[in-house]
Amino acid sequence: MEFLSFIIFLIIATALGLVLMFISNFLGKKVKITRKNDIYESGVNPVGSATRQYDIKFYLTAILFLLFDVEIVFLLPWALNYHNAANTGFMVAGFVFFMVVLLVGYIFVINSKALKWEE
Amino acid sequence: MLEGILEILIKTVVILGIPLGALPIIIHVERRGAGFIQRRLGPNRVGPFGLLQPLADVAKFMFKEEVHPSHVRPFFYTAAPVIALTVALLPLACIPLAAPFDVFGTTYFPEVFRSDMGIFFAFAVSALGSYGILLAGWASNSKFTMLGALRACAQMVSYELSLSTAIVAMIFVFGTNDIHQIAAAQTGYWFGFLPKWGVFMQPLAAMLFLVGIFAESNRLPFDLAEGESEIVAGYHLEYSSMKFAIFFMAEYVHMIALSALFIIFFFGGYSVLPGLDLISTDSSPFVLPVLQAVSFITKIAVMIWIFVWVRWTLPRFRYDQLMDLGWRRLLPLGIVNLIATVLFVYFRNQ
Amino acid sequence: MISDIFLTIITMAFALMVVFSKKTVVAAFALLMTLLSIAMIYFQLGTVFLSAIQVLVNAGAVAILFVFVMMLINLEQFQNNREKGKAKLIISSVTVLVILGVFALIINNNIEVLTSNNIADNSMKALFEKLFNVYYLPFEMATVLLLAALVACVVITGQDKAVAKEEGAKHE
Repeated sequence: MEFLSFIIFLIIATALGLVLMFISNFLGKKVKITRKNDIYESGVNPVGSATRQYDIKFYLTAILFLLFDVEIVFLLPWALNYHNAANTGFMVAGFVFFMVVLLVGYIFVINSKALKWEE
Repeated sequence: MLEGILEILIKTVVILGIPLGALPIIIHVERRGAGFIQRRLGPNRVGPFGLLQPLADVAKFMFKEEVHPSHVRPFFYTAAPVIALTVALLPLACIPLAAPFDVFGTTYFPEVFRSDMGIFFAFAVSALGSYGILLAGWASNSKFTMLGALRACAQMVSYELSLSTAIVAMIFVFGTNDIHQIAAAQTGYWFGFLPKWGVFMQPLAAMLFLVGIFAESNRLPFDLAEGESEIVAGYHLEYSSMKFAIFFMAEYVHMIALSALFIIFFFGGYSVLPGLDLISTDSSPFVLPVLQAVSFITKIAVMIWIFVWVRWTLPRFRYDQLMDLGWRRLLPLGIVNLIATVLFVYFRNQ
Repeated sequence: MISDIFLTIITMAFALMVVFSKKTVVAAFALLMTLLSIAMIYFQLGTVFLSAIQVLVNAGAVAILFVFVMMLINLEQFQNNREKGKAKLIISSVTVLVILGVFALIINNNIEVLTSNNIADNSMKALFEKLFNVYYLPFEMATVLLLAALVACVVITGQDKAVAKEEGAKHE
């Protein structure tokens, strides 16, 4: 039942976007000027392609996010289970170890120049 | 079975209708509020107090020419706005407007689907919001859009981390993840006057969450994705007419969904506002749900006003300041807050 | 039942698209769609938590990394540059063997497979209990593994301090 509700919601939400988009496709006027369809470049002719190499820090941000995100997601079931656990001391000891390792990694990243943007 | 489907359809239309119906009002409030803050008038010509201006805008968007640039990647270019809007709407599916209520022996759940893990679902789906932007920027195949998408994406993922630490802290404090139980835990008062809201238990987490939702929804002071003075309009530069409008709708809906999450965790969710709870709820089974829905929507409206207020008050960050704030200030704050919370709860219960 | 079959077909179709699509970005998006369909399968089985985690980690973080990288490097020049001939044959046959091995293990050892009958959201509680009692040590070790990955990705991209100093010395 939940899944059915979700699917119906998903379909209606998607249909909404599609309908809105095609309304202006039907109603709007159409002018065929090739110059108008050019890439936007503040009025001058574009130079080179848009896909070029960008700063490595963007990729590093993405991969560091992935690693920290996995660590924090591990804590979600931990936080949920804590109040049901028989031995809370054991749970907290594990948590402290987890966080210490996380902090070691964090301090290493901060001390490297991986996240230093100003240069 | 048919009745069940009808119920789902009604709920879906209501849940989708409220935010989408409120959009013109929000946009109007934003523009009038901007005028008020900057000591000018704002739109006031179309209809009484300019109230019809948003409708005029929608009509204009519909009748505008749809420019379809020749250099884009057509499939992804068309798909991007739809994905952005759908992903923004999805978290609303499991956010309840009121507590479950009984009418004639049947219990009704005022959310589209009921799951005790709903809050994770809403959070996870709202984290997908970066795909619409990434896709739009890449499919438009222009340097400005690419830069905008890149910035937006790096910014959203950076602030998601501190947001997640705040969520873990709140889940730990409440000891439950059911939205209804979280709301129930926040009903009532401390010392007879202070509402039992999460913000008073975890002020630091509330601050992290608030900054996080500003960054996630790409609003000022975090709108680096569309910094006009730097990259023209960012990721939606090559979009026109309704496609352009859909990105704005997605941004506002995303704001509403994230504000709803913020209120669920920190301002009591649908728990009745102080003052409104003096009204007797015995006369009819509908009184309490209506009061709760009114409280919830009022809280969201206040949040939206805060979004507007901040937008027209604070200047934009520089990109290195933004990354610095996310990674070197908020993330360690979130981790330290989490450790302190866990240790406090553990030693208090000893 | 219908949704079971439908979801399986969608997942398989997107997975095949990852393998066979010629454009790398399309492949990355097909990967994202595969991961999202798997999340839908979890949802359909009634485990919203697993579904949310799948969306949060795999679709929200792993796939975003792929898409990010594929979009922003000029990959047009590397198109049609996939492994050809022998290498392809060896890789695909090893993969098929591994998958068959996993199937054989499951069937041989009578490992319980998730179906909508034996899993529900309250069985998440049971899962957590296992995770934080029997498997607590592996759980803790996961963070050490992640620490290693963290250090590796900073060092490999040459963003650590030692390399920075070397570069500085060269410039001088």
